[in-house]
Formats: sequence, structure tokens, C-alpha cells
Amino acid sequence: MSMAADDRELRDESLDGLQLSAQLERIWRTPSGLLGALMSVDHKVVGRRYIVTAFAFLLLGGILAMLMRVQLAGPEKTFLSPDKYNQIFTMHGSTMMFLFAVPVMEAFAVYLVPLMVGTRNIAFPRLNAFSFWMFLFGGCFLWISFLLNVGPDVGWFAYVPLSSLQFTPTKRADVWAQMITFTEVAALAVAVEIVVTVFKLRAPGMTLDRIPLFVWAMLVTAFLVMFAMPSIMVASTSLILDRLVNTRFYDSSSGGHPLLWQHLFWFFGHPEVYIIFIPGTGMVSMILATFARRPVIGYPVIILSLIAIGFLSFGLWVHHMFVTGLPQLGAGLFTASSMLIAVPSGLQIFCWLATLWDGRPVYRTPLLFVLGFIAIFVIGGLSGVMVASVPIDTQVHDTYFVVAHFHYVLIGGAVFPLLGAVYYWFPKITGRMLSESVGRWNFWLAFIGFNVAFFPMHILGLIGMPRRVYTYTAEMGWERLNLLSSVGAFIFALSFALLLANVIYSLRKGARAGDNPWNASTLEWATSSPPPPHNFDRIPVVKHRDPLWADSESLPVVAGLSAERREVLLTSLAEAEPQVREASPEPSIWPLLTAIATTVFFIGSIFTPWAVLWGTPPMAITLIGWFWPTGSREDEA
Amino acid sequence: MTTGDGHTRLLYWAGVALGPLAWGINLQGVYTFAHFSCEKTRLSGAILSIVLAIVALAGTTVSARAVRRSAGAEWADAQGGGPRTFMAWLGVGTGVLFALVIANQLAASLIISPCLR
Repeated sequence: MSMAADDRELRDESLDGLQLSAQLERIWRTPSGLLGALMSVDHKVVGRRYIVTAFAFLLLGGILAMLMRVQLAGPEKTFLSPDKYNQIFTMHGSTMMFLFAVPVMEAFAVYLVPLMVGTRNIAFPRLNAFSFWMFLFGGCFLWISFLLNVGPDVGWFAYVPLSSLQFTPTKRADVWAQMITFTEVAALAVAVEIVVTVFKLRAPGMTLDRIPLFVWAMLVTAFLVMFAMPSIMVASTSLILDRLVNTRFYDSSSGGHPLLWQHLFWFFGHPEVYIIFIPGTGMVSMILATFARRPVIGYPVIILSLIAIGFLSFGLWVHHMFVTGLPQLGAGLFTASSMLIAVPSGLQIFCWLATLWDGRPVYRTPLLFVLGFIAIFVIGGLSGVMVASVPIDTQVHDTYFVVAHFHYVLIGGAVFPLLGAVYYWFPKITGRMLSESVGRWNFWLAFIGFNVAFFPMHILGLIGMPRRVYTYTAEMGWERLNLLSSVGAFIFALSFALLLANVIYSLRKGARAGDNPWNASTLEWATSSPPPPHNFDRIPVVKHRDPLWADSESLPVVAGLSAERREVLLTSLAEAEPQVREASPEPSIWPLLTAIATTVFFIGSIFTPWAVLWGTPPMAITLIGWFWPTGSREDEA
Repeated sequence: MTTGDGHTRLLYWAGVALGPLAWGINLQGVYTFAHFSCEKTRLSGAILSIVLAIVALAGTTVSARAVRRSAGAEWADAQGGGPRTFMAWLGVGTGVLFALVIANQLAASLIISPCLR
């Protein structure tokens, strides 16, 4: 396939293999030095930074979890004060949800989606860099506040009136609310990039029914982010306004309503669960196909399930509010939706089991984590069906049963697939294999530790232990189960220490990976490990859903793209037919400067409304700098 | 491309669009009308649900017709390459699934009194 060529410009068909690689590497590489690193717009560089930062926050959130488990290991312990405990459980939830779970999934997408769809960079690469800086600054803002004893202590959902100025007169609730704004800006930016990348930057021939399942999952997730996140941004902004300039959105004495907060929060909060879970299912589908050594059974059924889950996730939020006195008919409707979301989730699980059954599975570490995911997620799903029922939910609401349920869903549904994904894609990202024997220890410690830590919490909840209590008395009879849970938590933590050791060791001494060490079928494995700055010397043409299995010798490729400037190929939405060559932005320092200006604006605005006034000009200046025409080739049509 | 072809292309998406749309309207509609249903007619929620379940199934039917028309020319097998038929199949499944969800909500509105708080 050849694109119409402009005679004045050097194009890839004029160069042979080595010349072309060298020329493209020169054009697409990130500039050297510190300034160059800060200017990078390479999706792989930004994706790696995102992944490492998100895992750093996982480590911090995990340390907080360990502190809580030490405190709760026995009755009436004084290891943590009540105030510190409140801050720690709030920081744990906020860190895990906003600084780890969502960002790490988007981080993998930032790294992998452009490779999987066969393009050279993500759409809007400068926005991508801006997104990372916003995420980093927002996370640092939260954690520095915590270290200065201004960490939020109002729960990861910051219910009013507890988070109102009357009951939280310090800046703790403001820190929480503005951290939300940081991370949501970052998440929304990545969502837009993913949607445009999937819709317009796919390799020719990658029709809608040839898109890899992880990419489909990230596409659905991106839409969820775009429709769910504005709700929490409205909520957090209105909370700050209530606290800063007395707008009274949530003050019932002035016509506001506290329940408005819960509606806004959970309209975001429930899809948030699926924003974390759906990418996990995409990872599972990819890993399963490779290690079952056959395509996933029911490709259309899995996509149907992803789309259905995406829609249904917006109709479940009230099941978090069953005890707030809503009309019972309304609660019944949300129960119905909550029960029915088990249908598409179940369809996916049956497709995966059928794939394993019909395949020739090779039980390497990534597949072990997938099997662990299936077992744990099914248990979490079953307890989810239980709490979707109003009578049961009324009994176990705000008890450790709910804590057990959502950890089974979130860790089972997202963290286990994620750990499988780390083992699966580590060779592609670093060029080195992780140790298989350490990986097996890692899996079994994680699986056993997780279940020992969280299964007893079901029982603790059923016998009445409430959430968010910093201690309990010996007469309650919760001591042994809490101790067991704490032991399990430390075993679980040990599994992450093994993962960290495995990563550090393998980065230096791991076996060389090669381009496609797992004999996988999708396009990210068609390039070197790690991929070059331009991803592919020539853009592949896709003629099969599993291109590397169908064309194992050599993929057909596109010719005619520029070899003088950064250029990507745009294709049509459904058929992925080539449409136009488009310039891709050069590295720039402006995304970082814009993020710094935005950070000053955001942090200033929790102290004084004047920050909106004096914070805007620096942002405007940096945005003008960002978009200012430079006369370079990238500005040409 | 003729006008008829254009319509056919659009109609492939009918099930994917109509199923979730009908469910969204049903969820919000029955919830919103709960107060009205208590005072006036107790069956308004059920009637709304029945109508919207039919809308979701209509989406399925339209998508199924689109599949039948083009199945000979473009069939999405394991190789892929038939995106419109593929989306039409998704439409068939989505319409059925969301009709099922609406039917479940219809059952709730028949069992639970809208006056119950």
C-alpha cells in the first residue's frame, strides 16, 4: 500500500531498512539531557513515568494499609491516634483510587494502545505530557499535605456535612477536593487521547472488529472517564466554593442539600469501579489468548459485555445510598440494574473459561495471575449481588462486609490482572524477562495473603464490626479474625516486596526478551523490545484479528510517510482506510510550564478566591506559548 | 453510495443506541415519576417500562435486519474485516440485554408500591 508522495520531501520508500530506522530514530527520539527529558512527548516515555509514579503511590498507599492493620491487629491498641487513623484511612482510599488504580490503567494504555493499533505516537502527545505532570503534582500535593499534618480525614468520599467548613474548619477537606481536580484533569486528558488514538490512528485494515480487546476495553473506559469524571469535578469544585465563599450547595438551612453530594459523588463513584475493572478485563483477554495459545472465544460477546457494562455502570450509583431514605421503588430499580450487570460480567468469564478449556494453556506467571483474578473476582461479584439487595445492604452497610466485598472486586478485578500485565508486558517495555520462579512465589504469596487478609472481613462485617473505627474492645470478639486479617495483609505486602525485588534484579540481569518472547498475536510484539522512539519502521497493514499469528513471517506495510518530520497516518473510523498524513507534535517544555501554572492556580484557590484572578494570566501565557506557531514543519497542514 | 445504503449503514447501530437509551429513560423516568405514580396512577411506571422494553427490542430487530441484509456480503469471522455487520451483531445483543434489564425493572415496579418510603 503506498500513499501519494510529495516529490520535495524525503519519504520512507526512498530509504532501505537500516537507513530508515536511523533516520526515523533521529526524528522521533526524545532530546538528551534534563531539559530534553522534561520536554518529552513520546507516549512510551510518558507511559513509563506514569506507570512508575502510580506504583510509587501504590507503595505509599500500601504502607498506610499496613499501619492500619497493625493498629487493628488487637483490641484497644494505641499505635495510631484516632486523628491519625482518620487521616490514614482517608489517604489510603484516596491514594489507591485516585493516584494508583485509575492512573495505572491509563498509564498502561498510554504506553500500549499506540503500539497495539500500529501508530507512532498517541494523539495529542503534548496533552499527554501535561496530563502526567498534573497527575504528579496533584499526588505530591496530597502527600506533602499529609506529611504536614494537613492530610484529609473525611474519607475517600468526603461526605458533607462532615467535610463542610462547620465540621472540618482546617484545610484538610480542601486538600482532598483539590487533589480530585488535579487527578481528574489528568484522567480526562488521557481519555480524550485514547478515544482519538483508537478512532483515528489505527493501522490501515484494523477494522472495528480487528481491534485488540485491551484497546476496546480502554476505549470503553475512556468514555466512562469522560462522562463520569465531570460529575466529581462539579462536586469537588462546589465543595470548595461552599467552604471558601459560602455558596451553600450542600447547606440544607439555605436551600442546599447534603444528599446532592452523595448523588454527584456516586454518579462518578460507581462508574469509577468499572473504570478500574474494565481495563483489567482487557488485560485478562490479552494474556489469556497468548497463554491459551488460541484466540479468545466470543470476541463479539466480550465487546458486547464491555459496552453493556459501560452503560449499566451509570445506572447503579444509588445502590451506595440505600440507607438514605430514598423511595423504595427507586431503590428497587437500582437493585434490578445492579443484579443485571452480573450478566455481561458473567458472559466474559464464561468466554475466558471456554478459551482455557479449548486452548493449550501454558501456566506461566501472567496466566497464574489471571486464574487468581477469576477466582477472587467471582467471589467479589457474588458478594456484590448480595449487597445489591436492599434488605441485605441495610444490614451490612458500613460494616467490614462491604470492605471485604470491594477489596475482592478491586484487588481481584484490577490488581491481579495488573500484576499479570506487569509480568506479561515487562519484556516489551524493558527488553528483559522477569524471573519466572520469583513470579510464581509472588503469585502464591499474593493469592494466599490476599484471601487470608480479606476473607475474614466478611465474617467481621456479619458479626457487626463497623468500618472506619480506629479500635475496638476485647469484649466484641473481633480480636482473632482481625489478627488473622493483619497476618494476611503482611503476607500480601511481602508479595509486592518480591515483585519489586524481581523488577530491580531483572532490569539489570534478566534474560534478554527478544521481540515476541510469548509468541503473542498483537502488533506491540511486532516491534523490538523495548520499541524504538518511532515504534515501527513502517506502519503495518492489518488483515487479521491476530495479525502476528496470521502473518508470522512478515506483515504487509504502508509506504509513503515522511522521513523528514514526525508524521502519523489517520484512518477512517469503521474500516480503518487511510485518509490523511498528519504532523505529530515535537517535544516541548510548554506542557510542563502549563502544569506548573495550573498547579499554582489550583493550590492558591483553596486559600483565596483571588487566586482565580491572579492565577489565570500565567496559565494563559503558558497556553499561548504551547500553541504559538513556530514555523516548523509540524505546523504545516 | 445511495441514500438507501446510507440509511442501512446508520441502522446497523440501532440496537447499540436504542437499548441503552431506552434503559436510561426507563431508569430516570420511573424514578422521577414515583411520587406522581403514588398519587395518581400506580401503573404509569409499568406502562413506561413496557413501552421502553419494546423500543429496546425494536433496536434489536432493526439491527437483526441489517445483519440479514449484509450477511452474505460481509461476515465477521475470526479474521475480522466486517465492521458494520459486527456492530449490527452487537446491536442485536445490546438490544436484548437492555430489554432484559428493563423487564427486571418492570418487575420491580409491579412488586414495589411507589408510595413506599
